[in-house]
Formats: sequence, structure tokens, C-alpha cells
Amino acid sequence: MIVPVSTVLGFSAVLFGIGVFGFLARRNIILMLVSVEVMLNAVNLSLVGLSSHFEDLRGQVLALFVIAVAAAEAGVGLGLVIALNRNKPGAGVAELTKLKW
Amino acid sequence: MTFLTGVFYYLAVASVVSALLAVTRRSPVHSMLWVLALFLHVAGIFLLLGAEFLAAVQVIVYAGAILIFYLFVLMLLDLPDETARPPFGAHWPLAAAVGLSFAALAWFAEVEMLAPAGVGVAPAATTVATGSPQGSLSKIGVELFGPFALPFEIVSLVLLAAIVGAIVLARRRAAGA
Repeated sequence: MIVPVSTVLGFSAVLFGIGVFGFLARRNIILMLVSVEVMLNAVNLSLVGLSSHFEDLRGQVLALFVIAVAAAEAGVGLGLVIALNRNKPGAGVAELTKLKW
Repeated sequence: MTFLTGVFYYLAVASVVSALLAVTRRSPVHSMLWVLALFLHVAGIFLLLGAEFLAAVQVIVYAGAILIFYLFVLMLLDLPDETARPPFGAHWPLAAAVGLSFAALAWFAEVEMLAPAGVGVAPAATTVATGSPQGSLSKIGVELFGPFALPFEIVSLVLLAAIVGAIVLARRRAAGA
């Protein structure tokens, strides 16, 4: 291990916080999904860091599953964006008030 | 500080900077390009941590497939007024507070509580630089088809459901259907 595992974990915490901020603050729905990808990357980093720390491959396998779920999430999320865009052009979340009462 | 430690800190700082730029840029395409920089730097960190296969998957799947998919949809939608509007909603200070407090909480939980105690397990003594084959493809394959065989199959079902769901969601309905 070239750096202590706590460094990797702290770095991944910072990255996850940036992703949370982006998801909550952005108004564009595509960029909110991209912020989710940033968060998933942070989780992958901490999984790989711990896997390297404990010399256990399970962390890397779990990170592989996280990547697969991220791909599925991107597919369904962007399908939703296209379906929404067909009803109401634009990608702002503030205009999507049809389900609000 | 050895050379590899310096490389790690460069990659970490560059990742944080590109993530910050990605969530704050006004133009969505610029955001995507900064996310690409983030993914490549994270792949570099995976390499340093001994996860060579994951680094390759990160570049191929994340940077190569998922990000291009996002860019495709972004350009398909054609959002000309996106750069004219403010990128954040009016509630962005609240969002910043939530992000900061979450990062602080995770930092406290991971760095302060977990790391000094080492969770009762001795840290790995071998270094990645001396050629530990830990992240090698064959070992991951053995794990995937041994103890992780059932989750592996379930992930394939998840991907199938995602494919069908994306087609159903994005399909143009026939008239009267």
C-alpha cells in the first residue's frame, strides 16, 4: 500500500460530498445523473482502497458490480430523460411539476 | 515521500478539482469533459492501488461507454438555453451544506474512527510497486465464478432489465396504443 488506507477513504469521502452537492444543486437532470456517477466512483474508490488494505479481492468484485449497476442506472435514467423530453422539451427539473399536488 | 505517493496525491487533487469543476460548470458539455478527466484520474488511482482490471474496466466502461452515452443524450436533446440559465437552483447553499456535512461525517467515520484502530486487521505489508498480482484478471475471474457466481448472474438480470426498461421508456408510442 503506497498510501495509508485512511487517505484513500478521506479522499473518497470528499469526492462523495462533491457528488451529493452536485446532485442536490444542479437544475439539469442529466447533470444530476452525472453527479450520481461521481458518487458511485467515490464508493468504488473506497471499496478498492479497502480491498487493497485487507488484501481481499471481494472489494474489487463488489466495485465491478457497482460499475454494472451504474451502467444500468445510466440506461434507465437517460431513457427517462428522453421520455420526459418528449412530453416537455428541456432538461430542467424545476419544470417537472406534473406529479406535484 | 516516494514517487508513487506523489503520483497518488497528484491524482487525488486532480480528481477533486475535476469533480468540483464538473458539478459547477455552466455548459453541460464542459461538465461532461471534466467528468471524463475525473474518471481517468480515478482509473489511475485504481492502478496505484493494485486493481489493474478495475482500472481497465473504468476506462472502457465508464469513460468509454457510459460517458459517451451521456454525451449522446445531451447532444440529442439540444439544450440551447442551458448555458444562459444559472446552473444551480436557488437552494444551492443548502445543497452545499448537505454535501459538506456528508463529506465531514464520512471523513470522521472513516479517517478518525476506522483507520487508527485498523479494524483489528493488520494492513497489507506488501506494496503494489513490487508486483503484487492481487488485481490480476485470473484471480478476479475465479472470485466471480466461485463465491460470487450468484450475484454475477443477478447482475446480468439487472442489466437485461435495464435494457428492456430503457427501450420501453424511450420508445415512441404508436398512435392509439
